[in-house]
Amino acid sequence: MMRKLLAALAILVVWEGVVRLGLVNPIILASPSGIGSALVTDGVPFLHAFRITVTSIAIALLASLSIGVGIGLIVGATAFSYAAFGPILSSLFAIPLIVWYPMLVVWAGIGPESKILFAIISSLIPVALNTAAGVRQIDVRYEQFGRSVGAATRTIYLRILLPFALPSILAGLRIGTALAVAGVIVGEMLTSTDGIGFWISYHRTVYNTGHVYLGMLLAIACVLIANAVLSHLERHFGAWRLDELANIAPA
Amino acid sequence: MTTAAAIEVRSLSKDYASSAGPVQALKKIDFDVPEGAFVSIVGPSGCGKSTLLQILAGLLSSSSGQVSVGGTAVTGPAPGKISFVFQDATLMPWKTAMDNVLFPLEIQRIPERERIRRAAHYLRLVGLENAAQCFPHQLSGGMKQRVSIARGLAQEPQIILMDEPFGALDEQNRIKMGHELLRIWEATGKTILLITHSLTEAIFLSDTVIVMAPHPGRILEQVDIDLPRPRTYDVIGSPAFGSIRNHLWRMIEIEPAEDEAMSTAPAL
Repeated sequence: MMRKLLAALAILVVWEGVVRLGLVNPIILASPSGIGSALVTDGVPFLHAFRITVTSIAIALLASLSIGVGIGLIVGATAFSYAAFGPILSSLFAIPLIVWYPMLVVWAGIGPESKILFAIISSLIPVALNTAAGVRQIDVRYEQFGRSVGAATRTIYLRILLPFALPSILAGLRIGTALAVAGVIVGEMLTSTDGIGFWISYHRTVYNTGHVYLGMLLAIACVLIANAVLSHLERHFGAWRLDELANIAPA
Repeated sequence: MTTAAAIEVRSLSKDYASSAGPVQALKKIDFDVPEGAFVSIVGPSGCGKSTLLQILAGLLSSSSGQVSVGGTAVTGPAPGKISFVFQDATLMPWKTAMDNVLFPLEIQRIPERERIRRAAHYLRLVGLENAAQCFPHQLSGGMKQRVSIARGLAQEPQIILMDEPFGALDEQNRIKMGHELLRIWEATGKTILLITHSLTEAIFLSDTVIVMAPHPGRILEQVDIDLPRPRTYDVIGSPAFGSIRNHLWRMIEIEPAEDEAMSTAPAL
């Protein structure tokens, strides 16, 4: 712990020194003290923006989780639907969805809706793909077991297949989270009136490099928060998978 | 033991459509399983024995013929009447042994008090009362399969269908579990129909062994096993056991496929 602190301190000192001594143009690299003064002068709007961005990401992730799992269950329901729709999802995943952004703005306006919509669309595809793949790889005998004990189709899905696919769904959500964070912030940079991305973009145009770096740090904080929540979920729901992975025979 | 038939199969056929044309998985299968009997089905891969079991369980429909269980025609799964035990224990890894046994009882709306009584009773019967709170990954292959058997028994069915329940176990555990199954069968008096690759296992356990052959899936012979009960490991080495085993082995080995030269020799 002590050594880590010292290392961090050393990096900050070198960083500050490099900028102070004029070795790097301060427009390219803000100094730690420059970032600090940005926080002092404009901390309030930045923290407000931070809250807006985090909220947008949370809304987008909740939506893409529920829609993505729904789509994934339908696609993964049968070998036929998986063969028919799986490749469509996979190829959608390969397309840079940002090309849709101008259209999303036309449809949803420049308010928070367009960036949230964009984040949902980009993050739900990996969730749907992983849900479908997770359901498909479950041994068909588990479904037969469910039917043989008299479980309704709904019960088989909710109580057998979904829990089985959960670790896979969470893995998809991890990819989706990275995309949702990027989606919201990029959306804010392109067309919006608030949020971390908006302020990064704004201060870049007026050469407030310290403010830009402050925005970048807050964007990183968004990712860290999202990852911490995910890790917590994985520990809570996916723990059995680590030991059990080898014992689930694929169909 | 009464002689009433728990399972009646009459000229049962099952055809599949495959890319290579229609396949006859089962051709005119006829047999009875008396109530309380232990009957095994042996035969090489592709002889349709798993298909047959799934039809009996109501998980698969037949193409023609009649199947009745406990006097009524099979039209779909019969929860609470027929329990199915699968080759892989098919336990839910996020549930404890106890919760795995409770799950079907909850689905079948058995009152909670009765559920817990049954689950505890049958876990004790299979010798796992101390592992009730263990998760499947903490159990050995044999223990997992015993949980699966307890789960089947706890539904208090008339009939238990077992699809190679010990297929994933090594030879030693397999014989041990077979012995265990005999004890459980004798204690509960259930009708058991078991599929296996192992002739030794089939002879050791059963009242009757049904021998099947592939292409198309059909019954070659039903062999009554007249070895005295209760049986112990010693019976496996006896001359009577050996002669039955040789008889079955020759039948499976010699029998040519009707439509294909190759048939897989059964693993012991």
